[in-house]
Amino acid sequence: MKIKKSHVETIIFLVVYLFAVYMWTLPFQKNRTPYGEFDAISHWELADYIAETDKTFIDLPPFIDYSYGGQNSFRPHTLWYPPPFHTDLAIISSFAPERVVPVYLTNAVFATAILVSLFFVVRSLYGFLPAILSSFLLSFSMRDIMPYLWGQWPERFGYAFIPLILYCFYFYYTTYSKEDSKPHYLYIMGILLAVQMMVHPLSFFHSMVGLLVLGTFLFIKNRKIPLNFRHIGIALVLFIFLLSIFPYQTGNVIKSFMEKSSKKHDYPSVSRLFHWAPEPKDFVGSVPASYFSFSDMHGMWTLPFLLIGIAVLIIRRENRDLFLLAWLVSLYLILHRDFIEKYFFLHRSLSASAHIFVPITAIGILSIPSFLVFLKKYQNILKYIGAAVFVFLVLSYNAPAAYSILSSAYDSPIIRLVPAQMEASEWIKQNVPEDMNVSVMGPPWDGMGQMVYWISSYSLRISLPFEGFLTWKKYKDKPEIARYHLLNDYVMFDYSQIGMLQDRRFVDQWLAFEQQYMGNHTLLYNKNNIRVYKYEPS
Amino acid sequence: MSLPKNEDFGFIGIVIALILVFFYFILGISGAMSALGIMLFFTVPSYIILGNFDLSHEEKIVFAFFIGVGIFPSIVYWLGMFISFKIAIFITFVLLVAAGFTAKSFRHR
Repeated sequence: MKIKKSHVETIIFLVVYLFAVYMWTLPFQKNRTPYGEFDAISHWELADYIAETDKTFIDLPPFIDYSYGGQNSFRPHTLWYPPPFHTDLAIISSFAPERVVPVYLTNAVFATAILVSLFFVVRSLYGFLPAILSSFLLSFSMRDIMPYLWGQWPERFGYAFIPLILYCFYFYYTTYSKEDSKPHYLYIMGILLAVQMMVHPLSFFHSMVGLLVLGTFLFIKNRKIPLNFRHIGIALVLFIFLLSIFPYQTGNVIKSFMEKSSKKHDYPSVSRLFHWAPEPKDFVGSVPASYFSFSDMHGMWTLPFLLIGIAVLIIRRENRDLFLLAWLVSLYLILHRDFIEKYFFLHRSLSASAHIFVPITAIGILSIPSFLVFLKKYQNILKYIGAAVFVFLVLSYNAPAAYSILSSAYDSPIIRLVPAQMEASEWIKQNVPEDMNVSVMGPPWDGMGQMVYWISSYSLRISLPFEGFLTWKKYKDKPEIARYHLLNDYVMFDYSQIGMLQDRRFVDQWLAFEQQYMGNHTLLYNKNNIRVYKYEPS
Repeated sequence: MSLPKNEDFGFIGIVIALILVFFYFILGISGAMSALGIMLFFTVPSYIILGNFDLSHEEKIVFAFFIGVGIFPSIVYWLGMFISFKIAIFITFVLLVAAGFTAKSFRHR
């Protein structure tokens, strides 16, 4: 086999990509138990339920319906997201052995898909060097890594579609003439838009704004409108057909988009027009302040090169430069949609910033030699020196922070399921009817509350913190709910994690409770400091 | 339609083997099987269908994956309401691959 330049480039990209996947899979390479915040739990359980039960559904299964029954405002008690993303995870989970790795690995591949789409687009427009540098820096993007770890799974993948959708439109537009055109780019764009909408609507709206800005920029420069009703009509039919496959979920997207925010928001101050990021103080408690910091997320060293890159694009204004500028402007517009009273998930759009900052930064550093006219004959060498400096800075500033957060993410045994809980959950799955509640006593709501939901997720059964209706009197105004649980529940005493805590208060409290109240009830499971009873009212 | 040359198939084979070995080393058989599944279900059927369009080799691979992750599970999901999910995966794979080859044979006529 003859080795071609394209083969070498592919291998280099493969090394960069696989290294990124290696990094991003660190949280589950050694400890193969599920982890993540509440978002992660919902995505995991939707996929895992399908794979475990070998069936799909229209109405949500009881344990998911309990938490998310009202999420679909168009058709309550059905899936609130279109099914493809979670079905993808379920397909791989059904195909590969084990329950945890296939779902988490597929999600990691999806979350890093932006490296592939960005490399592909930048390589097509600017060549190999800016493309590989972009993917390399993006591997360590904290703005991507943090939401990935928190559990914003579909959204991470949805953003990977943006460059491809803009690319399809760009090629259709730039190659269009009355005599000749490449309509298949427009058809593929229609399909990609529909798939992106199914993956996550937020990124779909981002693409729409991007298309509008790119179309405007290209029209201003080229003075042509590729108005072919047949091409547009076919693309539109493909788009609408795909979205009609899951009408309840598409209906939810449309209804949610039309709804006004029920939360009271302050109209943004004009000064915000001069900032990229929303105000961190508006998101205290949900997102750390560092997430809004350019320095913490991108590294301050990228800023001068980013500015040089923007200047180069503005001065040169070739069609391909307009492509990147339109993408950049669309990000700005999306991040300021609160000016038209669209506040929903505003901070989440910020997580797409690296995707466009990174290629412009790479172009910025690689453009510097072109300014040094007195060194014209050394331009190529200088370009490679610029690339080497870029790699050095990435390895010095971005890589250590990214490695540190990924290698230590969820490495505490009290914030992810332990094997004892997984084994007990498996037992519950086999032995407790599907619509039954299992009340979990042990993990305190403050700090370990998500463990109860992980147990629910892994056992495919409703699990409520038992304290909810006893200790905390959560249902004191709804005695029928408390009564229903007291008469029907299975009760799990889980000492597996609270036994690891220095503070013995929780163990002592629940041991005393168990001895006092559970003596007359049937003990069904007793293993690894976890006991499950059937609560029998006397 | 531009078919990949034989030497490209050889190169693609090496790349796939490298990917599978890599995932085996970091996540065991489960990792390797997951990677295989991602390539097999999300890329191969739509790659064959896109083979009927005037696209570069790279475009076909990238578009195939990003289209495949939407089309393939959509069919599987609907079939999975009536039959076993695992069987639905198999049927969808066969249907899409057959659709790709059928379209190809129509184009050649």
